[in-house]
Amino acid sequence: MNNETEPAAEPAPRAVGAQVATPYRLVSEEGLAPRAPTGGGAAARRVLPAFRAAYGFTSQYFPAILLVAIALTILGVYHSGGLTLMGQQVRNALVLGAIYALIAIGYTMVYGIIELINFAHGDVFALSGFYAIVIAEALGLDKLATSGLGGLLVALIVLFTLSMIAAGLTGMLIERVAYRRLRDAPRVAPLITAIGVSFLIEGFLLVFFGPDNVATNKANWITGNAFSAGGVAVGFKDIFVVGIALVLMFALGAFVRGTKLGKAMRSTAQDRAAALLCGININRTIALTFFIGSALAAAGAIVYSINYGDVQWNLGFRLGIIAFTAAVLGGIGNIVGAGIGGFLIGIIYVFGGSLAGGEWAESLIFAVLVLILTFRPVGLFGIDVGTRA
Amino acid sequence: MTDLAVRSPVALLRRVTQPARSMGRRVEGRSVYLILTLTAAGLVLLGWFLPWFVGPFTAGTGFSPQDVVSSAPTGFATVLVYVMGASALIVVLSPLAELVARLRKMTLGVRVDQVRAIAGAAGLVAAVLVYVLVGVIREEPAFGVLSSTTITNSAVWLTMYGFGVALFAYGAKGLVLTRPNLAFAIAALPFGALLPLMFHQAPDFLLWAASSLAIYTLLALGLNVVVGFAGLLDLGYAAFFAIGAYACASLSSPIHGIHLPLWVLIFLGAAIAAIFGALLGAPTLRLRGDYLAIVTLGFGEIIPDLATNNVFNLTGGPNGLPGIDQPKIGPVDFGTSPQWYYWSIVAVTLISVLLLRNLQRARVGRAWVALREDEVAAAATGINTTTTKLLAFAIGASVSGLAGAFYGSMLTAISPDAFQFQVSIAVLSIIVLGGIGNITGVILGSFVLTFVIFWALPHAHEWSATFAHNFNVSAVGNINFPQYTYIIYGAALILMMLLRPGGLLPSRARRIELQTGVESESLAAVQGRA
Repeated sequence: MNNETEPAAEPAPRAVGAQVATPYRLVSEEGLAPRAPTGGGAAARRVLPAFRAAYGFTSQYFPAILLVAIALTILGVYHSGGLTLMGQQVRNALVLGAIYALIAIGYTMVYGIIELINFAHGDVFALSGFYAIVIAEALGLDKLATSGLGGLLVALIVLFTLSMIAAGLTGMLIERVAYRRLRDAPRVAPLITAIGVSFLIEGFLLVFFGPDNVATNKANWITGNAFSAGGVAVGFKDIFVVGIALVLMFALGAFVRGTKLGKAMRSTAQDRAAALLCGININRTIALTFFIGSALAAAGAIVYSINYGDVQWNLGFRLGIIAFTAAVLGGIGNIVGAGIGGFLIGIIYVFGGSLAGGEWAESLIFAVLVLILTFRPVGLFGIDVGTRA
Repeated sequence: MTDLAVRSPVALLRRVTQPARSMGRRVEGRSVYLILTLTAAGLVLLGWFLPWFVGPFTAGTGFSPQDVVSSAPTGFATVLVYVMGASALIVVLSPLAELVARLRKMTLGVRVDQVRAIAGAAGLVAAVLVYVLVGVIREEPAFGVLSSTTITNSAVWLTMYGFGVALFAYGAKGLVLTRPNLAFAIAALPFGALLPLMFHQAPDFLLWAASSLAIYTLLALGLNVVVGFAGLLDLGYAAFFAIGAYACASLSSPIHGIHLPLWVLIFLGAAIAAIFGALLGAPTLRLRGDYLAIVTLGFGEIIPDLATNNVFNLTGGPNGLPGIDQPKIGPVDFGTSPQWYYWSIVAVTLISVLLLRNLQRARVGRAWVALREDEVAAAATGINTTTTKLLAFAIGASVSGLAGAFYGSMLTAISPDAFQFQVSIAVLSIIVLGGIGNITGVILGSFVLTFVIFWALPHAHEWSATFAHNFNVSAVGNINFPQYTYIIYGAALILMMLLRPGGLLPSRARRIELQTGVESESLAAVQGRA
């Protein structure tokens, strides 16, 4: 937006090309101004600059506007339901946000490294939920987990390890089959195969597990209240969900920043050809990215199935879009941003839904998605990705 | 073409029938040729075996053409059976023979084509005679309503049409190879137009043709403007369909007491959808590629949500809007005879195709191509990218408004379920399958996909039950086929993008892009005839 060059208060002289005495400028403003619309007439000449100024303002202060809106929503909930309701909703928002954050990281990592919206990621999440069910059933983990604290720990470790490996391998398989060949194709091509993979996974889940909700048998793994503050009961389950998400996110951050493989990932994301010249195995690095992203989605799926108790075949579709919104909100390609975006989206979802009615919560998120991409495609604290958006 | 027209009819005929090699033109229509020959073989096979598949489940006895004729008490009929059988064998086996020849790197001579064309002609004549005989034996008129002989009728029609296509594909091979789109139109138009006549006793099939085939063809043509011509991936196309349908439903139902005729509504629906297309397109103007896709996806999810949540009390909530009017012209009641809906939509589709083709070749169409290839370069050459993009969105959406008007009226009630993401993906799959940017390909893709998803899958249960019954394999009998819809969409999208990114019938520009190294020559071809 180029309204820094001129105060936004007086766009009219520029549009009509009045001669403003500017002796220190070599080029007249008139010549630089965009060509006046020929057919639009005076109305367009008056409306368009105002429109552009409004757009520029909104896009410049978008983070502030969004945060103010969120704060107002929270205040609205406080006003209507008091402190207890607000506290409960904060707890719900954090739990939901942790799950969104775990999924959003997968989106943002893949986009960061090959600039592809991995549309199938949400469905990998749903698929992992079913992996967890199958694994827990095959190994009898459900019985073990409810037998005591030690059993629960063993069951959780086994379940997390196996499901995350299975989901990670699925992610690598998807990348190998559906995306690798199209890496240098027009950008719409891999997006279409991504949608295809998404539908394929949903189709298989529908065929194998049926159209109804499937109980995960994990809702009773973790029970009991940790503490309650001001009438808000916080369960061990809630602490577990948020805790797992935070631990995994920090572990990922340490991995990407501290290890050689993480360095390879960062350099591949920055410039694939240059990374190749430096001797980095591009294919392996990209496959690793898919592995990690899908494994985090699997962790999110286990946490989800412990917290909510059932999964559906098409769970991944809308959850995926919401998590993608979180990734965009945090600035796509930015792992920390995705984490924060996840929690923000959780807050918007819970508080917005609480204020406007639950049936509007998803529409609200999609509206936020459209607004971010319209006004600030780089996200709240986005690095400037230039033509990426 | 002018030089072709002034020559003698014999020269013209020779030019049409000879293979393309002698004409010094690039052979482009191999895929159309393949599709036509396979279609011919498939239709003949289907006509022969249709009664066998469907027979046990209908009140009427199942007949194949063979049965009909052999039950006729004349020796003449036996000859017909042998003629048809021999022709069918040739038509069915010749694609296989061609495949074998191609694998062994041989070329089949002109003589082979002549033989096959003659086989097609003989089969066609025999099939027509059979059709007439059916009428004579039953002492009923050859054209018109026959009773309880649905299967026979459809089977004979399918066989007839299959032989016709074989005759055309082999007889006019030169034309097929050099003017694939024209050839496809010649082969498909009669089928499309006569479909209700062929199956006028199969109400199920008519309903499919009107509510799935025709509607989805229109939708795919509209989305093709956005995705194919302008290169803007739109994942929320069902939203415009929904807007058109809801607008028209509100204006022709008891809800507001407004009853506008359908013929006014299709224009109104198109206009309203176009306005919304431009409105929803506006926020996406600065976005490219995948981000644009996601924004349109967001809109595509918001619009059905608005309808479900009964926004402003206009949409009737999850139950939708009931009691939409159905037009009546004189004695023709559209409600009881869906073929009139089908014909109306076919007429509208034909007009849309002509307009869209003109648009594609006009200044706007070339601007879209420039935009698709390189937005920066397009802007640098003086194309107003804003209006060009908005025009693509508006025109694409307006076509879906047409479809929406027909859709609501045909089903008499609409609900948000009919406009979910799945619809957008179905339309996208049609385009990807048929050939992005190619109108002919889109129509072919629409036929193939809607046939598989909306006709074959719901009816596959009957066939598999017959199969299980006949061969005593009970496992096959109780498969729930419609649940494979998602897998088919997914597989179609992935396989087409990986193996044949241009689709079944690639557009000429796309085909040239895919064949590297012949650019200057091909460019001349595009400029000469595009």
